[in-house]
Amino acid sequence: MSTKGTHIPDWLQVPFAGITPAPSQKGQDLFPTGNWRAIRPVYRDKMPPCNNACGTNEKIQGYLDLVKRGKYLDAYALIKEDMPFPSVTGRVCYHPCEQACNRGKYDEAISIRAVERFLGDLGQALPKDVVKPGKPNGKKVVVVGSGPAGHSAAYQLARLGYAVTILEKSPKAGGLNRGGIPDWVLPQNVLDREIERLVELGITIKTNTEVGKDVSWDELRKNYDAVVLAVGLINPNSIRAEGEDTAGVHYGLPFLRDIGMGTSKVKLGPRVAVIGGGNTAIDCAREAYRQGAQEVTMITVEGNASEMPCVPEDLHDMVEEGVELKHGLACTAILGTGKVEALQLHPAKFSGAINASPITVNKDAKPERFAVDNVIIAVGQHGALKWLPDEFKNDKGGIKADRFGRLGSTNVFAAGDVVQVGQGQPLMVVNAVGDGKRTAFNVDTVLRGEPLQERMVAIDVITDLARMNMTYFPKFPRVQQAMLAPASRRKTQDEVIQAFSEEQAIEEANRCFSCGTCNACDNCYLVCPEPCIIRYDRSNGLYKILVDYCKGCRVCIEECPTGCLEGVPELDFDTGVVRMDTAFAITQGLHGRQAEELRNLPDRPAKDIG
Amino acid sequence: MPAIEVQRQMLPMLGSPNQGARFYNPELPATEPFVPGHRTCAGCGPSIQYRMTSKAAGDNTILVGPTGCMYVANSSYLCTPYNVPWAHTQIGSSGSFTAGVAAAYEAMIRKGKWKGTFPNIICEAGDGSASDIGLASVSGALYRNHDCLIICYDNEQYANTGIQASSRTPYGGMTTFSPPGPKVPEAKTLFPKDLARMMAAGHPHCYVATASVGYPIDLMNKVRKALNHKGAAFMMIYTPCQKGFVYETPRSIDLGRLVVESGLYPIWEWDPEKREFDYSFRPASMRPVSEYLKLQGRFGHLHAEHIATLQKFANQQWKMMNVAIPEALIKAADAKNLVDMASAEAAAAVAQTV
Repeated sequence: MSTKGTHIPDWLQVPFAGITPAPSQKGQDLFPTGNWRAIRPVYRDKMPPCNNACGTNEKIQGYLDLVKRGKYLDAYALIKEDMPFPSVTGRVCYHPCEQACNRGKYDEAISIRAVERFLGDLGQALPKDVVKPGKPNGKKVVVVGSGPAGHSAAYQLARLGYAVTILEKSPKAGGLNRGGIPDWVLPQNVLDREIERLVELGITIKTNTEVGKDVSWDELRKNYDAVVLAVGLINPNSIRAEGEDTAGVHYGLPFLRDIGMGTSKVKLGPRVAVIGGGNTAIDCAREAYRQGAQEVTMITVEGNASEMPCVPEDLHDMVEEGVELKHGLACTAILGTGKVEALQLHPAKFSGAINASPITVNKDAKPERFAVDNVIIAVGQHGALKWLPDEFKNDKGGIKADRFGRLGSTNVFAAGDVVQVGQGQPLMVVNAVGDGKRTAFNVDTVLRGEPLQERMVAIDVITDLARMNMTYFPKFPRVQQAMLAPASRRKTQDEVIQAFSEEQAIEEANRCFSCGTCNACDNCYLVCPEPCIIRYDRSNGLYKILVDYCKGCRVCIEECPTGCLEGVPELDFDTGVVRMDTAFAITQGLHGRQAEELRNLPDRPAKDIG
Repeated sequence: MPAIEVQRQMLPMLGSPNQGARFYNPELPATEPFVPGHRTCAGCGPSIQYRMTSKAAGDNTILVGPTGCMYVANSSYLCTPYNVPWAHTQIGSSGSFTAGVAAAYEAMIRKGKWKGTFPNIICEAGDGSASDIGLASVSGALYRNHDCLIICYDNEQYANTGIQASSRTPYGGMTTFSPPGPKVPEAKTLFPKDLARMMAAGHPHCYVATASVGYPIDLMNKVRKALNHKGAAFMMIYTPCQKGFVYETPRSIDLGRLVVESGLYPIWEWDPEKREFDYSFRPASMRPVSEYLKLQGRFGHLHAEHIATLQKFANQQWKMMNVAIPEALIKAADAKNLVDMASAEAAAAVAQTV
């Protein structure tokens, strides 16, 4: 019987077998029941699928968890580790994280991008950014291009303590973020604020400076310790049709870029055709309405909408705005004298990867004449690399770099679209950001004189819902972002998708399963039958299992909602636990200790109880 | 004689663990009146219940342990895992002993010998003690309205003596006293005694509630409500027994949920003020009983007609709780739509979550 709270007569105060001290908070020494155990529960955080799918491996589960708790500033700081401009990607990202989200298999994926935008806007409103430049190490790095990859590389290098200079050939920094993304997706002032943040980090931005014109290749290599080429793909691909030089033919990216830079002189007629089925083509078609077109038709070579290499949401929004789709056609000639009058379309088939597309055109079929006033061609782009020595060019119009982004054994690195083109991945902002980040770390490794090595970390991505306990998660609809009505948004440059309020952001973050990662829900602590799971402070990963007592029932593993707990066979440990001893084995030696104490007791006369 | 002021603890209720879509348990009390180092089986349901109950009650608690698993397995060599005063009593005297403890404190307060707050006096009786052998004494303690809480941790059998049938063993449950055979293929032919309703009907001035380890926060809140109630309270708590039910140990909490979702263990409260049952607790889903049965070896011998009988019983329970019974469950009460337990995999295909 427990002796706590009981009056023990003084002749019983001696410690001998039978009367044992009250159990401690930790447990009873007498029954170290841990030796029954065959399987040990172990907290092992896994890689959530969103973090894994993100091009720059943002710690998405981490910041959603912080948003749930209302710790927005910590969440913003966490996002800034991998992503220099969450306010931009929170608007423009094609969110591979949401496609990978485990919640998508359960009800609806979490609106991660909207939460990211909420945090990005919060960061924009801060008077001073949470990120500080690193301790200056006296080395100079130049980054060519201020698009997503260049921005990201410069940001990470500045955080590592390098003196970074960005060269930008346009009058304004921002690269594709400014030139390739329309204002109704990303307002210019948001981007301006992010560029300001770069300057606050001590980065020098030289605009109107073009490599090959204002600065030569040799000067770059001579004046700086390392060079990062993040020049992007700026020359549009042609469709190799007759009459492409007719007036009224525009190309996708320059069309958007000139509007973005405010230098556009384009006047669109009432009927506009857009050739191409990618995300840029969609942006062009939607921009065409805003530039005064009455009827916009998109001509794609793909057989149907589901094959188009674009984000379904954007396609849906485009169709909502009234863009017509024509599938399975290739433009073989642009007809008209002095001005575009019509397109000649042939049936065609598309096969192969993005940006490297063999198209089979059926020229024997009767061509279709499609009357238009303007045509916008958006079928990908290639690099403008005349200034680069030929040895570093590849046959896809990009830069030939090794897997670390390094050009041969030089201190020149390349990042972003210009490296990724033709590698089978879609070219998107977040992938360029990730590439910029990794390249920055590789530059750092090389400048510190260390060998470049691939980090060989086995990652366990948790994609199987059976590894989590779904009974704890009620089905809950996704919080939808408000949008402007299709009819009204066709005419304005206002942002189409609206931001989350604080309540909406928390509600959406609450939907996160926290796949494979402890989020301190306390369930293991509550359901343990022993109870041998303890925690002194309720926080992620601060739970401890008293292995002296854990019997290996695995209730905690079964009931862990996130799947963080897993069972590991006891034989994998070398802690010297002998399994299947009896429960009576006194390994802690309590009785032995008492026997020793009894031996050491001075002889006392027996008490006269009477 | 001046009026005697009895200070009561009035424990606060815990919040729900579901915050919108998020699962996050409320801040639990830091106190640990029940510590590891006891010899209950791995995954022991009563042990889970004991832990939750004592955590909800806190340190100013006196526990009474009549003979049962939680006495036999936990107090070997006069060592117990209880960090609060605990005393054993005979299996038949659970109610009278607890009443005595409560009466002693009442008397000490009356005589001014006890100045502190009134302790939580909790009796943890097994279903053998509460529904069979000690039924009379429990009823007596409740009838006399001593300020105590008597909990029946219901593992549906006499487990510490090696799995014998008790009056709480469900229909079809195999025990050493009710083995299935050619004459009695369903093993236990009788339906369990409805102990909690009996206590509510017989002692309407008491707070009576049922709970399950599958819903820990609900369980802990009911314990606190029962302790806050001035007078006697009775709770019956479902606690799976790995040895007797024959299931995989990790399923302890899962079974606690499934038994409620299948309707075999209705969760309710008896409100002594309004004198009516409160059936507002609803599990997240309703399931056919076969989903609960197929996880347990003690039901492995059941034939289709026995499962249908259990489903009829479950449907009656849902009806008693004023729940509309879905078509699938009515269908599942017909033996034609069911298969024998021997082909439980096939049963799983028939069973549909509704």
